Amino acid sequence: MGEELAFAPVAELARMIASREISPLELTDHFLARADRLNSKCSAFIEVTSDDARGAAAAADATPPQGPLHGIPFASKDLIDVAGVKTTAGSQVLADNCAEADAHVIARLRAAGAISLGKLNLHEFAYGATGENRCYGTPVNAYDRTCLAGGSSSGSAAAVAFGLVPAALGTDTGGSVRAPASLCGLVGLKPTFGRISTRGVVPYSWTLDHVGIISRTVEDAALLLGVIAGHDPLDPNTAREPVPDYVAEIAADKRLDGLTIGVPRRFFFDHADEEILTSTEHVLRHLERMGAIVRDVELPSMEHARTVSLTIQMPEALSFHSRYLEDRGHLYSDDFRAGLALGQCILAEHYIRAKRMVTRYRQEVDETMSSVDLLITPTTPVTAPKIGEVNVAIDGGQEAVGNAITRFTTFFNMSGQPAITVPSGMHSSGLPMGVQLVARNFEESLLLRAASAVNREEKFHVAPPNIG
Amino acid sequence: MSMKRLTKPTLDGICSELASHHWRDDELSELVNPKLGIITGFQELLDELEVLRRTDLGTLPPAQGVQRWEPR
Repeated sequence: MGEELAFAPVAELARMIASREISPLELTDHFLARADRLNSKCSAFIEVTSDDARGAAAAADATPPQGPLHGIPFASKDLIDVAGVKTTAGSQVLADNCAEADAHVIARLRAAGAISLGKLNLHEFAYGATGENRCYGTPVNAYDRTCLAGGSSSGSAAAVAFGLVPAALGTDTGGSVRAPASLCGLVGLKPTFGRISTRGVVPYSWTLDHVGIISRTVEDAALLLGVIAGHDPLDPNTAREPVPDYVAEIAADKRLDGLTIGVPRRFFFDHADEEILTSTEHVLRHLERMGAIVRDVELPSMEHARTVSLTIQMPEALSFHSRYLEDRGHLYSDDFRAGLALGQCILAEHYIRAKRMVTRYRQEVDETMSSVDLLITPTTPVTAPKIGEVNVAIDGGQEAVGNAITRFTTFFNMSGQPAITVPSGMHSSGLPMGVQLVARNFEESLLLRAASAVNREEKFHVAPPNIG
Repeated sequence: MSMKRLTKPTLDGICSELASHHWRDDELSELVNPKLGIITGFQELLDELEVLRRTDLGTLPPAQGVQRWEPR
């Protein structure tokens, strides 16, 4: 029962709690015991808040259900404030930074009955996609512990993959939820920009940051999104769009008749592992059998996309970190300081020009998506790289690991559309593969419905890892 | 006018003559002459930015929030 419980979806755990097969405290103790036993092997947690979690779970035992996540354990990337707990952002710079209040998303999850188990590891200040962290260790891949979990939400992906929590929150500025979720055989959702409040989250780049969800199933992502999405009057970036019942909408119609799916083959199918491309084609054929119409489309030129993203990221990161640089500058890692120095040398005109390019990207993607409902791409061009690798070999060339992992995800942080990764099967190397689906702004219901059609198909399933 | 290659004295000037954080000598050197592999291609980034600067974006404003897609 232990392993089954550890890898059960949130929806199943909620059903078990509702039918009193297990209590919130028993479930919390189960996951805390796993974290105690396994965290030294995977470095997923920076801090496990056992006493707080057990207190909240005992209170949940004693009260009627407060919401759809009554008694469900979760954990959050350590950029996201949990009241009374340190938010380190994975850095010595904030090693003593205790949060006074819950981030908006944590408050929403707690109000829905969820139990916070603690704070999860990450690439320092979310600056990087490998998840390597000199202070708190590097989270490993549950399918091969010599490989990366991916990042920057490395601990979020590792915690779910190792069965330490059934779902986790991360943040995604260039793919930091979707890439690690894909490398670890999980579902990773980056909603529309403005769909979820980022209040109480340590910023990396205000223009590109999104809070996201890592879960075992699409249904679980829908369940959590329904709880944390919506307008926050104290976050000027959040939208006033209504929040539908995502779970009901994906359950209502399992067919995809008439749905049009665009395949941007240029760039998104270049220089990628052959097995990953083949699995993506298998997903496309499955979606056709479900009633979807698949056709090729052209997206804007990606030639300058990484430059545009970097030109926005680094000055924005520098602007936030100004408050710490003078007194604590020596506590930053060398690579992050180098990035901040780069941000110092970018001209204001460059920054504004990059932000105007983002407007152009958004218009061009809107234009492309006027004729298709969804886009589909591989999530990453490679499976999880080995820990310590600097470059990965693809198509006879070399590419920096961080660039490769996020090559297909970064663009949609600029364009803002909701995007999700779903497992597409196992690679012959024994590592998971994933596909990325993208919908129009605020059409998460449609996105989740199509992703669910992939997620339900057995041949794309990724078996839980052998944790031992 | 074609851009000259960025040099360390230029960065020294920017960081000493304009409002700036304090950057170590090796950090500024790394931007113009990368040796550690931490930042690669700042000059290439600047070259790409120059291409973008010459791109006609008309009256497009900088990006702000996103809106729900509506058929035109």
